Amino acid sequence: MDNINLEKEQQLADILSSDFTRLDAKVVRERRVEAVLKSNDIIPSVLLFAKDKLGYIHFSHMSCVDWLEEGEFEVIYILWNPEEKINLLIKVRTDRDNATLPNIDYIWRQANTYERELREMYGIEFPGLIAAKEFILEDWQGMPPMRRDFKTKEYVDDHFFHRPGREDAQDVRETIANRSGEEIPEFAKKFSRK
Amino acid sequence: MMNINDKHSQKIVDIIKEYARKQSLFILAYGTGCGAIEIPPTMTSRYDAERYGIRGAATPRQADVLLITGYLATKTLKRVIRAYEQMQSPKYVIGFGSCTINGGMYWDSYNTINVLDKYLPVDVYINGCMPRPEAVLAGFDKLKELIQAGKAEGWKHYQENLDWYRENQKKVIVNWQMPDYNW
Repeated sequence: MDNINLEKEQQLADILSSDFTRLDAKVVRERRVEAVLKSNDIIPSVLLFAKDKLGYIHFSHMSCVDWLEEGEFEVIYILWNPEEKINLLIKVRTDRDNATLPNIDYIWRQANTYERELREMYGIEFPGLIAAKEFILEDWQGMPPMRRDFKTKEYVDDHFFHRPGREDAQDVRETIANRSGEEIPEFAKKFSRK
Repeated sequence: MMNINDKHSQKIVDIIKEYARKQSLFILAYGTGCGAIEIPPTMTSRYDAERYGIRGAATPRQADVLLITGYLATKTLKRVIRAYEQMQSPKYVIGFGSCTINGGMYWDSYNTINVLDKYLPVDVYINGCMPRPEAVLAGFDKLKELIQAGKAEGWKHYQENLDWYRENQKKVIVNWQMPDYNW
């Protein structure tokens, strides 16, 4: 597998790097190229360029990573070129506190669904988004639930009931072993809760 | 002439009534979670629940049994309460799978409830993740036993303690826009 031909991938990375100054493109592996944008304003132009000029006509996915320690959201657009068979990953970062990204649902209509999901689950705003309203969550109040600083356990304790007997973390195996007079084998003891 | 309201004849009527009830249980065809996947094999030729008088019903008003199959999201809870309150009494609720008992693997999820019997009166719980069709049939057997003994009275309990149930339900459903049914 030493002679993998990365010519097409390298060519794409070179085109992207030379056409956009605020963009770092590199080849990740065969059939995968990654482009990291240093500015959010150029997202629509990069995507339009990839769609119209380079043949990345298929919008596969759009997702978000919460970098809590760095105070940033990273949004990743995944495009696919059916001719060249290359995945293009376009990564952008935005500030966590006032997360705003350019709307791209006029480039691909299906991006609207992803943007609405990110808006609801992470609180990222997309100015000009069509139907920017309640999506999956119903009557949600407070912090968007997919943010990493959302305290899931506290929320559950506040809103729902726990059935008693769950919290004590009793080792069921030991109870059964004591009851039936068996011994837990030596190799299995390291999994005991003691 | 026999008086139908006399104590002894009423007892006979009750036995016949409960016998008839337990022999035809219509399930509301509404799957809330992943457990609904166990209903088709229970109903079809392999396990054939219909030979025990268990079959599906299309609408809440035609159904006797409400199966809560698996995890119940807060959003679904609203619809389930709505469906349950439309059902005609006597009606029975079966909690299906460990998610309805204590939350199961979704016990710390922000959008699924953990203990079903705080929101709806559960007559029978079937544990397992997921319970196989044999377990489902065993659960229905237990429900039949309870019906024959006159002990499956969750719906009466719900009417009598409606305020307590409403309080718990409103704790989860923030925007309460539901019709008040007058029993």
